[in-house]
Amino acid sequence: MKVIAILMTVLLVPEPFVHAAEGYARTVVAHGEHGRTGEMRGMHSESGGAMMAMSMSWTDYPLLKTRMSGEDREQRQTTVVQKNIAAGSVDAWSNNLKDVNAHRHLPLGMAGALLDKPETGGYHWLSAREEQAGRVLVASTVYMFGERNAQDPTAMFMQQKHELEIIPNPYPREHSRYRADEIRKFVVHFIGKPLANQKVVLVTQNGSRSEWTTDSTGAVALRLPDDFKPEADKKEPAERRGGMQGMMGMQAQGSEFVLATEYAKDGKTYVTTFNNSYSKNAYDKRSLAMGLGFTLLGMIGAMPLLRTRKTDQQTPSSGLTEKKEEA
Amino acid sequence: MLKTIFPTLGRFRFTVQIVMLFVTVYGGALLGSYTVDRISQALPSLACSYDKLTTDHCILIVTQHQLHHRIGEALTKIQDITLKVFVPTLISVGTFFAFFFFLNKAFCGWVCPMGTVQELLFRIGRRLGRPLNRFKPENVGRVRPVKWLMLLLLVLGLPLLAGMGVASGEAGDAYCQVCPSRLATTLLTADAEQIAVRTSTSFNFILGAAGNALFGFVIIAALAVRLPFCRICPLLSWNALFQKLSPMRLVKREAHEKCAKCGVCEKACPMDIHEIGTQFGKKAFHEDCTLCGRCAEYCPDDEVIQIRFFGIRLFGSSRDYYKNRVKQESPEGMPKKRVINIQFSKPKPENG
Repeated sequence: MKVIAILMTVLLVPEPFVHAAEGYARTVVAHGEHGRTGEMRGMHSESGGAMMAMSMSWTDYPLLKTRMSGEDREQRQTTVVQKNIAAGSVDAWSNNLKDVNAHRHLPLGMAGALLDKPETGGYHWLSAREEQAGRVLVASTVYMFGERNAQDPTAMFMQQKHELEIIPNPYPREHSRYRADEIRKFVVHFIGKPLANQKVVLVTQNGSRSEWTTDSTGAVALRLPDDFKPEADKKEPAERRGGMQGMMGMQAQGSEFVLATEYAKDGKTYVTTFNNSYSKNAYDKRSLAMGLGFTLLGMIGAMPLLRTRKTDQQTPSSGLTEKKEEA
Repeated sequence: MLKTIFPTLGRFRFTVQIVMLFVTVYGGALLGSYTVDRISQALPSLACSYDKLTTDHCILIVTQHQLHHRIGEALTKIQDITLKVFVPTLISVGTFFAFFFFLNKAFCGWVCPMGTVQELLFRIGRRLGRPLNRFKPENVGRVRPVKWLMLLLLVLGLPLLAGMGVASGEAGDAYCQVCPSRLATTLLTADAEQIAVRTSTSFNFILGAAGNALFGFVIIAALAVRLPFCRICPLLSWNALFQKLSPMRLVKREAHEKCAKCGVCEKACPMDIHEIGTQFGKKAFHEDCTLCGRCAEYCPDDEVIQIRFFGIRLFGSSRDYYKNRVKQESPEGMPKKRVINIQFSKPKPENG
């Protein structure tokens, strides 16, 4: 079984296989237009397999990638693909722990594991686990089906799923995302308990690498590097594509990051990763100076309204009438 | 007890406004990152979707979003117009209408954070001794159509055209790009991102520049004009469309012949609705009314102006209340005790 899984994983990566697999992939409705995680936010979904194959060569750490495909937003498919790990299936937890389908095993097909949206919707924790010769690899990520009133996923995130875990606290909510030059918090757990003074490595697709250490509560606040290269600007901005990403000013030129931590206990070595996408910093393609300038211009335009006149008088330009204050 | 804490309707409304300001601007930060959808969906006023920390829902962006992504796109392939298009749209705006049905335009006067910010600035303006600029009856009519233009063009028109592929995708939230509440509420959370103008395309830049200039104008104008932005806010016109359907309403009866000549209620109205002084019955509840209740507070006659809910009187004018109210604040909003007295003009030298 494991050999088959490894073979499938190897076969999945090259572009032609991914495209071929899309042809017979089961139709899964990814409800809502806000569903997104790494691939969706980081790259144009239509570009699919080729870009994913390219993007996966930047690290040796285990990764889980999600990819949406399909033109119709009501009929988009969400596929989970593993990289640098050979698990037999992908585990998915929905944020409603009381739901009978709160924890599901998603079998891996040719194109990956197909993720559909249960009625509970909202946030999904995705992970894949491989154990071989005393080494336990776990890749994890979060996928969110856009849904208003999605339940608070904190309890689901914090619930123990594997031995060693890196958990975002919090994960960017709908209409938000990881961005360069922003500080984000994570916690590291081992057997459900915070792991203090644990080294966490941050590696990005853009080539950055940094090391961080958890505090006494197992938490680490790390700054995502502002490491986008200028040539990425040549791509089409998200705003032109429309969609909520464009509306909210999200950038199409996303990249990937992975957090990894390693811990040894009782003769086993545990390596766990959490990967996701991040986009350019908040002020990319924005001008604070011009923004302040236009704000100041508006303020100056309103200044005549503040002048005190002795008598009632009509201001022709504004049509406003000033009246002497009653004491 | 309640009367001690809230001796006037104005004090009660101000307290509600401050609480709502904190809920809509800081609620998510206080209650947790994932609660914001719930908070802001329950309060579909100008709780800005651009606020990363706290709120995530404003009926205006939902309206634009649905027109852009569902109705507009569906109109381009008409055969796809099914329940899957309209049901999500109805659900999205349904909470707004459910809330609106009970509160009517009290959204604007009691909940909207931008309204509260403007009122706070106006209070500062009173303390600083700035003049009060009001619209005369013959001029106010020129401003009133602007809110309908904002609604039709920026909230409904451009997003729909964007969804149909006629306009660029950037027009999908055209109104948000000029909305001063987006800048005010994000700045209140110490987030300066939104004040930075987008420069990616000329369309974004023009809208952003206009939005920033409008924001700057409103911030200063609010020191000397009551609720300057509310007069052109598309939410006011959006609410006005359904104003008559709500059981919450303002009622004015004709008490005596001199009523129309008194004009105190007119002076008290922060929206310069002169009709409140001269009209009676349904006409007195004007489309610009935000149900703030100041006209009822400052009406010197018993029960002439009332706020009613399903016909039940929630608040009504009274002579005794009026006498106490004017001791604290003039109808125009001037406090009787000015604590700051800044000399703006150059002081004269004492000896020649």
